[in-house]
Amino acid sequence: METPDYDNEFDAIVVGAGLAGSAAALAMANQDLDVLVLERGQSPGTKNVFGGVLYTPTVRELVDIDDAPLERYVAEKRYGVLTETDETAVTMRPGEWLEEPHNDSYTVLRGSFDEWFAEQAVDAGATLLTETTVTGLVREPGGGAAEGRVVGVETDRPDGTIRAPVVVVAEGANSLVSEGAGLRDHHDREDVAVAAKEVLKFDRETIEQRFRLNGDQGVAYNYFGEGAVGDAVGGGFIYTNKRTVSVGVAYSIEDAVASDQNPEETLNDFKQHPAVAPLVRGGRTVEYSAHAIPEGGIDAVPDLVSDGALLAGDAAGLVLNNGVHLEGTNMAVESGYQAGRAVAAAVDGDDGSVDDRALATYPEELADSFVVQNLQHYDFFQELAVEDREFLFSELPRALADAETEYFAVDRDPKEAHAEAAKDRLLDAAGGYVGAAKRAWKYRKLLS
Amino acid sequence: MTVDADWTIVVPVKQVPDADDVTIDPETGTLNRSDAPAVLNAPDYNAVEAALSLRERAGGEVVAVTMGPPFARAVLETAVALGADDAVLLTDRAFGGSDTWPTSLALARAADELDADVVVCGEESTDSSTGQVPPGIAAHNGWAQLTYAEELEPRPDDDELVAVRDVEGGHERVAAETPVVVAFEYGENEPRAAGLHRKIYAETEFEPEEWSAEDLGISEQVGLVNSPTKVGGMDTADPVEREQAVVDDVDALSDRITEVTADD
Repeated sequence: METPDYDNEFDAIVVGAGLAGSAAALAMANQDLDVLVLERGQSPGTKNVFGGVLYTPTVRELVDIDDAPLERYVAEKRYGVLTETDETAVTMRPGEWLEEPHNDSYTVLRGSFDEWFAEQAVDAGATLLTETTVTGLVREPGGGAAEGRVVGVETDRPDGTIRAPVVVVAEGANSLVSEGAGLRDHHDREDVAVAAKEVLKFDRETIEQRFRLNGDQGVAYNYFGEGAVGDAVGGGFIYTNKRTVSVGVAYSIEDAVASDQNPEETLNDFKQHPAVAPLVRGGRTVEYSAHAIPEGGIDAVPDLVSDGALLAGDAAGLVLNNGVHLEGTNMAVESGYQAGRAVAAAVDGDDGSVDDRALATYPEELADSFVVQNLQHYDFFQELAVEDREFLFSELPRALADAETEYFAVDRDPKEAHAEAAKDRLLDAAGGYVGAAKRAWKYRKLLS
Repeated sequence: MTVDADWTIVVPVKQVPDADDVTIDPETGTLNRSDAPAVLNAPDYNAVEAALSLRERAGGEVVAVTMGPPFARAVLETAVALGADDAVLLTDRAFGGSDTWPTSLALARAADELDADVVVCGEESTDSSTGQVPPGIAAHNGWAQLTYAEELEPRPDDDELVAVRDVEGGHERVAAETPVVVAFEYGENEPRAAGLHRKIYAETEFEPEEWSAEDLGISEQVGLVNSPTKVGGMDTADPVEREQAVVDDVDALSDRITEVTADD
């Protein structure tokens, strides 16, 4: 039996068939590069977890999403602040979201979406190998790199080393390959959040009645405050799919370690909150998952190109969480797309030579894109959230609830007295007019 | 050292619905095969491993064979990725609806056509579990058979294959003259993982040969009309409602178990 040798038969290897990896593979295959995608799961998406709303502008740039397994488009967003017993929420349903392309916001289930997205890359000419775990990168002396240039990958299979001119590492949050190869440092504990999520099965009618939805409409609810994740920095979420509801929590690993509660218990408490329980009641759990989220902001993003290897998606720490915007997958798609374009420009398909200057356009393009722009703009928030945690997650929610209770109290006192008391309660929490003004200034960039 | 006698080792394999995803239609009692992705029948991994191991010791080549629609080639790719040298797809509308009788006939003719010295089958398929096909192949060709085989020892110089068979109360070692059909016991060896380059080859470049019923000269002997099996009816058993309880700690669990077992 003679086995062909595929060393340097492919122009590039992509580690991981998640959204970043498949976007990179698509971008390269669209430029006629021969791409090999290695995925450890039985099929793409089986190892992936997110909330999930997928924002689709870049996906639409790469593929036609008419046949994509989208669950529902986001017709309503809700931001709820929870104490242990109260909810204060803002709900929005702009009419424009009902029109195509629905603000490019759809709930999806990663198991089916990632599989479909990887299929698009295969249809474009990429080769996908599943159940194959990349365990390390192969380096070779020379190429101007002190530790040698990355010339391939090692996998867990027999005869498992394969070479290619460029490697795109899109391995996800648990970035063992890039850490092992010295492409990035180990994630600092304070830069990582833990998420726990359940997918609950209902019939369509129950979901549509419960959340006031027609047809393909869906909701994205985000919750903050001590009623969501106790005294941790983080929040809870509820997203509607076609026949399931995703409910989960995400909060700092440091808080999870310090807490005597595990994430599962935190999720159970969230599900039992009086404002949340009626929304998730009666569902049958069909999926339970937990995952790490890198949210160290722009400072935790490593060099995106080094020695012939590129990092994209979660492996590069490209996740935005500023409380209002929770985005990772669209950044994964955009970074994969930009990485793929740079590789396509850099690799000479005939002789396998690599133009390092063309590879270097990847971080430049990404710096000009919404990915890095947003990470930079909202970089202040993570730090402030930790600094102000007592105010943001505990005092403010309580003050809001107290003020509402006071303002709308029905008794025989004049309303003006209630309004005055409610205002006092809020001002008290914010530190008077001066304190409130200071805080408004501090958080001004959140909404700008 | 054995002399390289170049055995041809044929491995009939089957694509079955992935047992993890299969459901049963409560109305008809039949399997919803279309819901589950098709994968290589689990016992066939043991058969392929046994065949590869025979090849390593006796020399020769391993050829995987399956009968099915064109997409059944996926399981041949799996076999080739694992190390089979070649593969043949028996595909023809005429095969449609075949039960174990015409199926084993087609596989027997294919094995004969390939000039097989040894045919190694998995003991049964996970979707119908009859175990009739390996003996069927032997019967159709008038070849020897070694069922319930746990270990194989090739003796190509003597044109013999020795098997350790699992029998009631122990084991027996039986030698059979080639050509011989083996039904290899599920789980009795550890199937290897496919090599990386071999897997790429199998999934991107490999093309199995395709044979029709006519190529095998059995057009009039296969398909539904030539299948003697008649299914009288099917029933599904309702699952027993199980009592569930959540306990706080190990002690509480222990108490609960003691309580329940004391009731009996």
